Amino acid sequence: RGPAGRGMAAAAFERRVLRRAAEHHYLRVRLELPDGGARPNAAQFKQLVVTALRELHGEVGAALPVDVLTYEEKTLSAILRVISSGLVKLWSALTLLGFYQNRRCAFRVLQTSPFLLALSGNSRELVLD
Amino acid sequence: TKYSLCFSVGYSAVAFNHVIDFKEKKQEITKPVSPTELFPSLPIVQGTSKRIKVLTRLTLIVSDPSHCNLLRSTSANIKLYDIIAVFPKTEKLFHIACTTLDVDLVCINVTEKLPFYFRRPPVNMAIDRGIYFELLYTPAIKDSTMRRYTISNAISLMQICKGKVSSQSENKPLELRGPYDVANLGLLFGLSESQAKAAVSTNCRATMLHGETRKTACGVVYTVKKPRKVEEEETPVPVCKKAKTQA
Repeated sequence: RGPAGRGMAAAAFERRVLRRAAEHHYLRVRLELPDGGARPNAAQFKQLVVTALRELHGEVGAALPVDVLTYEEKTLSAILRVISSGLVKLWSALTLLGFYQNRRCAFRVLQTSPFLLALSGNSRELVLD
Repeated sequence: TKYSLCFSVGYSAVAFNHVIDFKEKKQEITKPVSPTELFPSLPIVQGTSKRIKVLTRLTLIVSDPSHCNLLRSTSANIKLYDIIAVFPKTEKLFHIACTTLDVDLVCINVTEKLPFYFRRPPVNMAIDRGIYFELLYTPAIKDSTMRRYTISNAISLMQICKGKVSSQSENKPLELRGPYDVANLGLLFGLSESQAKAAVSTNCRATMLHGETRKTACGVVYTVKKPRKVEEEETPVPVCKKAKTQA
């Protein structure tokens, strides 16, 4: 509730703090496949994410509702959406994934945020003069 | 190159590790390669304008108490390393490493079932001395059996040492993970969120500072003000007057 202090009339605004109210978390990830083999398409990418979850967290993890919102095959980068309670599981599963079809790979999580708009700018790519 | 990848992932300080295994004969501690020879100009930390710090680190794999003599002797080359870590193979050596050895980090092997159990007294003494424990997370990426061992050893370590841990990667560039990824893994191992982030940031910095103090400080002298004896008098005399008569 807004404070009514200093002898003024009660303030006409009220302040609400929402903690953990965001339903989904968004992650921008990039898959690194150093060998120049065939690149996965969108369906294979989703399959890879689900496989990573299954390997680390089992069937319950694989059942976690994850959506691939965008996927670029050229750069192998994607934006994933997951329920907020499942963020730790998804992130740890992506971190510990080592192989895609017996090829060495690595997931790099570039940005993560509860708001999709925040993924549009990356302060780490700023060049400071 | 391999090193440019770890700079681009988001770390602000990197240590090059030299491993010495005493089981092989004739191991001598060589001078560390100076970082300036490897990189003419260090890249800049992502998002800031500071350069990345590069340190040198020595890991000693000890399986015998006689190997620890090297640490006690004043070998000139050992002083050149910024951080010293020890990897004890037996329980007795773990106890010695935690209590008396002059090191900054104690490495714990996570890929096998540990031959000894952690006991609370040496772990508490190590924490009091400012020594942190270290885990490798790379085996968890390679193999599912390794993953199980890593996670179970890490959880048992966390329970005993209350989260004073830092983490380490090794070898191939693809097996490196960014700092926030590693902090998230800390959540898996049972750390709280603040402890997990500290495992990558604060604890590592504390280890660096511990190494610096080991290199520089040999002893501390400090003065303490002795309380003056209060003499009982009927009329209180101002202090300055009293000092004059005493001199």
